[in-house]
Amino acid sequence: MNAKRITATALAAAFAFSSLLTLTGCGEDKPIRLRVYNWEEYIDEGGEGSYQYDIEENEDAQSLIYDFEIWYEETYDTPITVEYSTFGTNEDMYNQLKLGDQYDLICPSDYMIMKLAAEDMLEPFTEDFFDAKNELNYYIANLSPYIKDVFDSNTVTLKSTGEKHSWSEYAAGYMWGTTGFIYNPEYVSPDELDYWDAMIDSAYANKVTTKDNVRDSYFVGTAILYQDELLDLRDRYENGEMDDAAYNQGVTEIMNRTDEETVSKVQEILLEMKENIYGFETDTGKSDMVKGIIWLNFAWSGDAVYAIDLAEYGEGDEELSEEDAVYLNYFIPEECANLWFDGWVMPKGAQVEAAQAFINFLSRPDNAVRNMYYIGYTPVIAADEVYEYVEYTYGVEEGDEEDAVKYDLSYFFGKETVLLTYEDQLERQLYGQYPTEEVMHRCAVMDYFDDDANERINELWTKVKGSQLDAWAIAVICVGVVGIAAFVLLFKFGGKIDWFRRKPKKGYELVDQKPYRHD
Amino acid sequence: MIKPLRFTRKSLGIPYAVFLVFFVIIPMLVIVFYAFTDKNNHISFVNFINFFSDPTKLSTIVYSLVIALITTAVCLVIAYPVAYILARSKMKQKYVILMLFITPMWINFVLRVNAIRELLNWIGLLGEANYLNTIIGMVYDFLPFMILPLYTTLLKIDESLYEASADLGGNSFTTFTRVTIPLSMPGIMSGITMVFLPSMTNYVVSDMLGNSKVTIIGKFIETYFGSDWHMGSMIALILLIVVFVSTLLSGGFKSEDNVRGTNL
Repeated sequence: MNAKRITATALAAAFAFSSLLTLTGCGEDKPIRLRVYNWEEYIDEGGEGSYQYDIEENEDAQSLIYDFEIWYEETYDTPITVEYSTFGTNEDMYNQLKLGDQYDLICPSDYMIMKLAAEDMLEPFTEDFFDAKNELNYYIANLSPYIKDVFDSNTVTLKSTGEKHSWSEYAAGYMWGTTGFIYNPEYVSPDELDYWDAMIDSAYANKVTTKDNVRDSYFVGTAILYQDELLDLRDRYENGEMDDAAYNQGVTEIMNRTDEETVSKVQEILLEMKENIYGFETDTGKSDMVKGIIWLNFAWSGDAVYAIDLAEYGEGDEELSEEDAVYLNYFIPEECANLWFDGWVMPKGAQVEAAQAFINFLSRPDNAVRNMYYIGYTPVIAADEVYEYVEYTYGVEEGDEEDAVKYDLSYFFGKETVLLTYEDQLERQLYGQYPTEEVMHRCAVMDYFDDDANERINELWTKVKGSQLDAWAIAVICVGVVGIAAFVLLFKFGGKIDWFRRKPKKGYELVDQKPYRHD
Repeated sequence: MIKPLRFTRKSLGIPYAVFLVFFVIIPMLVIVFYAFTDKNNHISFVNFINFFSDPTKLSTIVYSLVIALITTAVCLVIAYPVAYILARSKMKQKYVILMLFITPMWINFVLRVNAIRELLNWIGLLGEANYLNTIIGMVYDFLPFMILPLYTTLLKIDESLYEASADLGGNSFTTFTRVTIPLSMPGIMSGITMVFLPSMTNYVVSDMLGNSKVTIIGKFIETYFGSDWHMGSMIALILLIVVFVSTLLSGGFKSEDNVRGTNL
């Protein structure tokens, strides 16, 4: 018996070992394995939704990942395979890293990049990556000057040494955008929609939704709490008392307050908001907007563009009829908004060269356009091809020049680029994808919360999301539950207790049951 | 000579034992470990104390209990007559009716919740009565789990027992209370366990139909696993104990009482 067991174990071990050998054994001619960890649906995955798809000419459009593998081998003469996996939230991704998963390239959001950098978990980019003379360095050559400035001027402080490093040392931008409201102009007048406090405005009771996540909700709460201060700041800015940078710094400071007093006041506001809103959503907001169930929806700009498209054109190939089409608008509140971005970072131990090549390949202008078309978000790349695509999508058609309005995007593209577009685009897709420079001044990047603040704010979220019962109600319900438990117990075991037993009628007696037997 | 390969009964159990160790026992130990450690992985009761000193968490678990109790009660009230009629009728088409109750179980769960969301929106309840919607959704989802065990136990009751009851002068009411209910008790208990336990944690229903304004304890576990695995594990452990106690009460561990849809 024992011998048999030992043989079986030995066999199993030998088998496992041999398969391990075949996996790792044969060395050099194996291709490089590049492990990329990205958001779901956040890259051109080929197929019908792809920019290159054409029912007649190019029916099997490939994904960017596949094209990268081909390009890399052609360019560097080394075979490569990309192991591509996806995550759903920054926190999931962080937990996976903490558990020891190894990746070469990840694409977290702004605050998570800062957190990873501060905890010294990232590999810096090499100097060569920023060498604009190298023609394969598409990233640095095509990066928008606006985004470059944000990445260069903002710093993160390493926890271990206290040194300050600029973001660009650790992160390369991918997509960026703002937060705001999608609204249905049929129900919501743009004149009445000004600030984030629409969330607690009883005019929109049960008609407005927000995101079911703590950071976005906290942002909204903070904006409502400090509305007066933010507006005061804006007045001073408009009166010329401060310059663009100082104004932006002021807004950023306010929106990153996490002290105890702020947190407890934000909690009150969010509880009030919970009473007013239709609900918290993660994914239903877009379709609820289209159906007209809600009028106002907190949205990230990329989602907003998608929702506006969906409402106007529908999902299928055939365009919606005039009656079925719903026209939605995007609005960035006037006191402040969130500037967010997702960027590529390399965890410690990553294969730097190949990872940087991947970023460069995605930054090649034609690929940036492909991603922009597929995902609907705005890439950080500001090449001519991207502008041409924007012009092609939003520019006025020939003959319509009379109705056209000018839309200045020079701040982003870094040269004189004034788009002639239709007036409605000023509050629709174009505005969602490329806000005006004036808007960007009031957009604050939200830092990561340090451990103390994180605990406070998670506690706040529990309180906001959870139920608030009075002590007496808890007591009553507990008594009820215990009562039911007692009843069940009695029902089950009551028969064994003498007191509960049914007594026989007078003159009768039960046989075969000890307590009643008369010997 | 080569011995023929023979399996003893014990060795046939090895695959399950391996499965049990890797997917049940070790994860359970990991949960216990996380529940009783703090952020620096030191042994601590801080999560335990935090849970029981936080009125929000207590309120939420109480709310979940109440939602689960109501769901179970409603399921029982709806399912019992259906199962009784189906089990006792001589109708040839009764299997068709039974199938109608069971086929929804074969459709993807998320799809069903989405469908009922549309339905509630059409009726006009969506966004108006979040708790009611949550309970409606739960009842809709878990009803088959109540009908099946009831149906199988009721089917097993011997017809002659009803006749005997009638012979001894029992009217239909006494027959029901003194014969049918006691004999179908195992089915009732089994149905209750199968409905009560998942309805404490099925937060997809409360998120979709209660617009995330209804938070049940399962949602908290999910939220905490985004930020604080230790607290998340502690809540999971406490829920496990609640579940264990309620299973114990309903006698779910007794093997002869287990009739979860054995006929199908």
